[in-house]
Parts: sequence; C-alpha cells; structure tokens
Amino acid sequence: MSRSKRAAVPASARPPPPPPLLPVGLVERLLAAAMERGGDFAEVYVERAETTAVVLEERRVKSAQTGLVQGVGLRVIAGHKVGYAYSDDLEDEALFRAARTAALIAQSGGSPREFKVSRSPAPMYYRVAQPLSQVEVARKADLVLRADRAAHAYDKRVKVVTATYADVTKRIWIASTRGRFAEDTQDLCRLGVSVVAEGKNRERRSGYYGGGGRVSFNHFDTFTPEQCAREAARQAIATLGAAEAEAGPQTVVLAPGWSGILLHEAVGHGLEADFIRKKTSLFAGKMGQKVASEKVTVIDDGTVANSRGSINVDDEGNPGERKVLIENGVLKGYMYDALNAEMMGERSTGSGRRESFKHKPLPRMTNTYLAPGDDSPEDILRSVKRGLYCAQFGGGQVDITNGNFVFEVSEAYQIEDGKLGRPVKNAMLIGVGPEALKNVTMVGCDPMPDPGMGTCGKDGQSVPVGVGLPTLRIDGITVGGTRVSR
Amino acid sequence: MGPEQLARRLVQRAKRKGAKQAEAYVELGRQSSCRVRDGQIEDLTQATSKGAGLRVLKDRRLGFAYTSDFQEGSLDAFVERALALAEAAAPNPHNGLPERKDLGTPCPPEHLFDPAVVDLPSDWKIKTALEVERAGRSVDPRIATFDSVGAGDHVAETYVASSEGASAGYSGTYVYLYAAPVASDGQQHQVAYWSDYKRYLGDLESPEAVGLEAARRALRMLGAKKVKSQRVPVVLDPTMAGSFIAAVAHAANGDAVYKKSSVLAPLKGKVIAAEHVTIVDDGLLDRGLGTSPVDGEGVATRVTPIVERGVLRSFLYDAQTARKAKARTTGNAMRGYSSLPYIGTNNLRLEPGKVGPEEIIRGVKRGLYVTAMLGRGADIVTGDYSRGANGLWIEDGELAFPVQEVTVAGNLLGMLKSIDAIGNDLQFRSSVLAPTIRFAELTVAGE
Repeated sequence: MSRSKRAAVPASARPPPPPPLLPVGLVERLLAAAMERGGDFAEVYVERAETTAVVLEERRVKSAQTGLVQGVGLRVIAGHKVGYAYSDDLEDEALFRAARTAALIAQSGGSPREFKVSRSPAPMYYRVAQPLSQVEVARKADLVLRADRAAHAYDKRVKVVTATYADVTKRIWIASTRGRFAEDTQDLCRLGVSVVAEGKNRERRSGYYGGGGRVSFNHFDTFTPEQCAREAARQAIATLGAAEAEAGPQTVVLAPGWSGILLHEAVGHGLEADFIRKKTSLFAGKMGQKVASEKVTVIDDGTVANSRGSINVDDEGNPGERKVLIENGVLKGYMYDALNAEMMGERSTGSGRRESFKHKPLPRMTNTYLAPGDDSPEDILRSVKRGLYCAQFGGGQVDITNGNFVFEVSEAYQIEDGKLGRPVKNAMLIGVGPEALKNVTMVGCDPMPDPGMGTCGKDGQSVPVGVGLPTLRIDGITVGGTRVSR
Repeated sequence: MGPEQLARRLVQRAKRKGAKQAEAYVELGRQSSCRVRDGQIEDLTQATSKGAGLRVLKDRRLGFAYTSDFQEGSLDAFVERALALAEAAAPNPHNGLPERKDLGTPCPPEHLFDPAVVDLPSDWKIKTALEVERAGRSVDPRIATFDSVGAGDHVAETYVASSEGASAGYSGTYVYLYAAPVASDGQQHQVAYWSDYKRYLGDLESPEAVGLEAARRALRMLGAKKVKSQRVPVVLDPTMAGSFIAAVAHAANGDAVYKKSSVLAPLKGKVIAAEHVTIVDDGLLDRGLGTSPVDGEGVATRVTPIVERGVLRSFLYDAQTARKAKARTTGNAMRGYSSLPYIGTNNLRLEPGKVGPEEIIRGVKRGLYVTAMLGRGADIVTGDYSRGANGLWIEDGELAFPVQEVTVAGNLLGMLKSIDAIGNDLQFRSSVLAPTIRFAELTVAGE
C-alpha cells in the first residue's frame, strides 16, 4: 500500500452526462415552495443510489442482491432553526408536500419568489472507468469465491471463511436558494474477508481484512482477494495461543495504517463544529492552544485520490478540502458544515456530510491522518524495553465530552527488550484524547493510509471515512487487559 | 396501493416470471421528530418512507432485490432484477423460504398500535422536548448545555407475503423522548444520556422525569478519575446489564453456532450460568417495542428461553439457518426492506431477581458500579469481553466517587457464571429489558 497522490482528472476524459435525477425546473420550483413562509435559506438534496452485495459463506455464494433507493431531502433554515422533510416518492405532489412541510419552520410569512440555480464546477478526486453498478454481478461473485479458496489454502487450521463484496453508485444533486447547483457521482466499493481458525484444544480465533475505495473495479487486480484472504487468515492463526493481556498503563507501539482510527476517535470527533458550537467537546475554546505532543500534526483531507472518505463536493455542495487540524501539537482548525460555520462566523470547510436524503448534514471527517515524523519503524520498536505492539485493530468509540476513547486491538504482541514477543489477547486501549496525544513520543517516517474499510457513525448516520497513521509510540496509555500483575 | 396488495402482487409477478418460490416484504413508515436548544426549536423533521424487498428462488438459487420506487412502470423491472440475480447464483440446498408448517399461527397483533400516537398534535414534540430541557436545566447551574434534547414518534406498517403461504402484517406506533445534558464544573465536562421509548403515549415517562434523571446522571460524574488496576466486584446498572445480555444473545445466534463461531456452540443443555440466571427472547411481550405477530419472514413469534435457570436451552434461528442446522425456526428473522432476513432478538429479557439495586451495591466492599460503556464488547468467537467503562466507585457498600477512563474485562462464559446478584428493578425502555446485575469479580484496568 502506498499513499496516493492527489490528482484531478482532465475534463476531456469525462464520459457523457447521465440523465438528470429530476428536471432542473422542478428543483427550482421546490426551492420556491420551501421558501413560501419566509425562510432564510432552502436546499434540495436529490439522491439515487444503486447497490450490489455478494455474500459468501460455507464455501458458496450465499446471496447476491441489488437495490435501488432514491429520494429527495428538503431543508429550510429560518434563523437558527432547521426544518427538514424528505420523500422517497418522486411524484411532484409528494415533493411539494415535503417542501411545504420543511417550510413550516419559518413563521415570518414570505412572499412568492423565484429561484434560479446554475451548475458550479466541482473538482474530481475520483472517477471510475465504469460505474460499479454496471459491473456484472458474476465478476463480483468471483472475488468472494477467490478469497474463499485462498483463505482455505493458506492453512489447514482455517475453518470458517466469510467474504463480502459490496458497492454503491450514488448520484447526488444539491441545489440551494443561493443559486448553487452541485452534483457528484460517488462510486464506492469494499471487499471484506473474515476468517476463523482453530488451534489446539479447539481454541478459535478470528481475523479480518479488506478494503476498497472510490475506485474502478480493476482495483481488485492489484488489491487482490487472495491478498485480503491471506492477511485475514494470518491474523487468525497468529493470535492462536495468545496470552492474557496485562491490565494497566504501558508503552504501546501502533503499527501503521488502520491504526489511524486512534486519531479519528481521540481527536477527530472532538473537532467537529457542532460539538464546538454547543461546547460539548473538550476541545471547545482551545484554538491556538497546545493539545498534543509537538510531534503530532493531524490533517483531515477530503481530496485524497480515490480514497474511501474523499468527496468532490460535500452533501451541501461545498468542495472537499484539505484541512490542518493540529500542527506540531497546536490546535489549528475545526471541521465545519455550512450551518455551524454560519452560526459561528466561520466558513464551511466542505465537511457537511449525510448518510442519505433521509438525513440532515452534520460536520464529519473525510480522510483523517497523522503526518509522518522522522523515526524509522525499527528504531521505534527497538526503543521500547517493555510494552505492547498493536498490529491490527477492531473499532473504536469516543465520548467527546469527557474525551474518553477506546480502541480495540485485535492482534497484539508483548514487546520485550525492543523485540516482538508472544501474542496477547483481549487488549483494548483507553485514554483521554489530548492526554494520549501529549504522550506521543515517536512518530514513524512510514505514513500509510488504511486499505479502505472504515465507516463512521454519528447521530445514527453512517458515512465512509479513511484514516492513516505512521508507526507511533505512545507512552503510559491504559491497556484494558484481564491480567493484574501487581 | 396498500402494502398487502403490493406484497401479493410482487409475489404473483415473480411466480409468473418463473420463480419457484417468492416472498415480498413491504414497509411503509411515517416519522417526525423535534430537537430543541436553549428554549428554542433547533430542528423539526417530518417524513414518509417506503420500500419493498423481494426474495426469489429458482432451482434452489437465491436472488434478492429491493426498491423504494413503487411506480407501476418500475415494478416489472424490479421483479426481473431479482430473478436475474437468482439465475446468476449458484444453487444451495439450504436455500428456501419458510414452509407452511414453519409459519405457525400468529397471535393477533394486540397492543402494538396506539391511535393517540397517530393523533398527536404537531406541537406536542416541541412542547415536550422543551419541558425535558427545562427540567434538566433546573436541577443545577452546573448543567451547562445539552448535546441534544428531543422527542419524536413514528408509525410503521409492514406486510410479508410468500408463495408458501406467509401472509401477515401489522401496524405499530412508537413514541420517545431523550436528553443528553452536559454538566461542567470548570475543570471537567461530563455528558449523560437518558431516554424513554414506548409504543403507547400513556406509558411514556413524563418529560420532567427524563430531564431530571439525565441531569442527575451527568452531575454525579463530575470529578471522575481513574482507579488502580484490580480485580473487584462489578455492578452493571440496568441499561448496561441490557448490553451484556445482548452480547449473550448475540453468541446464541444459530448461524454463528452452526459455524462453530460462537463460544456457546458446544454448550447446549449445559449449565453456563448461575441458577438464578434466566434469559428469554420474548416476541409476545405485551406492548413490547420488539413485539410483532410474525417475524421478518412471516413466522409466528414466540417466547424462546435462551438460558433457563442457568442452563443453555436454545439458540435463535431463522428459517434458512434452521434448515441447515436441522433445527426449527424460532421466529427470530429480523428484517428491513433492504436486507435479507438475519437472526436477531425480538424483546430480550433477563428475568429479575428479588433484591433491590441498593442492596446489591451495599453488598460490595470495594468495587465498580458501571453506568456507561464504550466499545463493542464481546468477541463471540472467543468470548473475550472488554469495554471502556464510566461509573461510580463503591466503597463499603456506598457510592463513593465517579470513575472514568477504565476498562472492564473478562470472558463471557466466566462472566455468566460469576453473576452473583440480580436486581428486582427490571427496566422497560427499549427492546432489551434487564435489571441491575453484579459480577463477583472482573478485571478493572486503570492506573
């Protein structure tokens, strides 16, 4: 895996435009209906998403499925109040009903007005050769079958293999009373392989690996199902016979890549503008202050080429951006959607994202990563006399108010005198965001994005995200193990 | 077109186009919600939604498609999409819909639908949410702000019909209110979340009760600190006890058991917990949030004991998993229109004991009372359990000081056996119902 360069695709390479999601004239009339009672702002969000999923288990394709969901979300803002309505019925009558429902938030009484929108050009950080929805299902099924064969071939101890391929081709339109009209096509896919291995005494352990992104289907020519399957199988087998983790503060070394969810949980969520405005984040009011070790520079970048979390435009029509959140330990920026930005006298950072037309936009992360440092990964490991090396990770969660975050470690090894020792199980890291980041003592020179498997949940909305981290040393972080030695 | 008519029509069309078996699941919904902030409306949302999922079988080949587009002109293409997927799929002898004998006789859908929820005036949510906020704020000036405060309702109608004789549907209502106040003492901020969720408006707790409890929970966490790593008794409040039994039910998933991917797989009929532990899946619970006459594939719901007086009695099945595992479906197929059935719980309940929660805490010399957790919890393959925990330290049977930034860890099997007290305070505010419980000893990791 290597970090992809940012690149825009030349205009000449673009395919002919697909048919419109709705007549533009209808969108303009919906905006007028939404402003009937005198709001300050109205926005129409149109979405059409086609999905495919193939699931393999017990050595066969269990199911293949496709789906189509389309709908329109209407948002009206009056002062600081938001009215929201949506409809998955695209008949004019249903859409106007939704527009008038959203309009009820405004009480000032409007007068009939007309709105015109015009297309604003958007950058292109991803483009696929053929929309994923048009790739034959049989080719998708082939990926999971290949993964299954490779996982079983890896080792006799592999007992259960489950593989899933899923993709979506999502088209969105965002039109607003400010005259903006943005559109995007967002293809996204992911292959995931889960393996259970059985060792001595019927001990069973699992491994998981996968990835994808906003990529063409031929991504899997180089990021192969065999590679994913072997890595999932390796994890399951490597952790057989693992010892109980020791509970309490330890020095930990994090392997690069997916470990970036540490940043996502420890600082990312706490820098989202809604929590800052409501003062529910412990990072509220800390702009310009030191919140991490000077070795820590955190960037949220919606413009990484073909990455899972990238967006040409956010779900309010603003272009995706690269934002420095923390620079050399100092808090430099928050992530803003348009509404919070306006209420706080700031500008949108292209961070307004939503799961679907059924949801209001919220400030969200895109691809969040830690800038590389100077230390070689070997030196980092060698520097630790006794500690924990965290090789693979599950998920994480944060309480943004008290800053407590957890971070599941699915593959870990004891470090003894700078070398990897035996595997340990059931380890979990827990910390308070800024404190953990102040204890970052070494940052590797080996930046690595995750392979494209992250989904972030907030207020019941899931959006795809990317993370990335070089090898990292954190001192004195609490490991939630089961063994108490003292 | 009503959901019943649409479901039947989709099944007929699929059969006519060559499906051996077909099943349609149709959902219609209406939802509205309100959030408030500083005595004002923050947002109001109102919407209707719908969708249909179609499962077809052709020579034991399975195809599934879903759509939210109900236009007459689109339905044929939708049915053909499902059939095309079946034709491209590999045959699997386990594929199939629930047969007539599996469907059973559903109980009539009583007490799922409250007309009072349907008839709620539109300003009810606004007024109620404002009252929750006012009540929470009035408790103490240290309630500085709210992460969110709101109220809402939704009405859902579902219908499932199949070529094998499934034909059932029901309408349900839901109404809720919640608050997440933030307490602040200038040094530390602490948030707590509290809510109530019911099918009947008359059962819903008052806005004052929800606001006050939320505020109390946030305030008592101010000044929270780490404790030393140690093995001590751990008490879970009813909400956290609910998340623990949900992990047990997850390990009782018939599909994971069939694949031997659950620690419970070899233990059916064995004693896995203390004798006072009984955990049931109850699809018939009166006014239960997870109650329905039929599950997601039209099979009558029922009461299934998972753990009975400490003995592992049954696993949870849908029709397809039951067929391959040579078991019977237990009516635990969950469903949304956009997914194939998967195994889950209807209403999950840990039967209450006789002691009060205060008495359970009084019985602890030094230990941790857990009121909020972070992370997913159990790895059901190994049973390893580890979560971040917030709560209160117990010293000589009294709640002494707030605790944060610690984890609680053990193994599901060991934890089930170490449950040494179950409270009489069964809590009924979600589809998982549990009282306070105590584990004799778990690892708390901190300093």
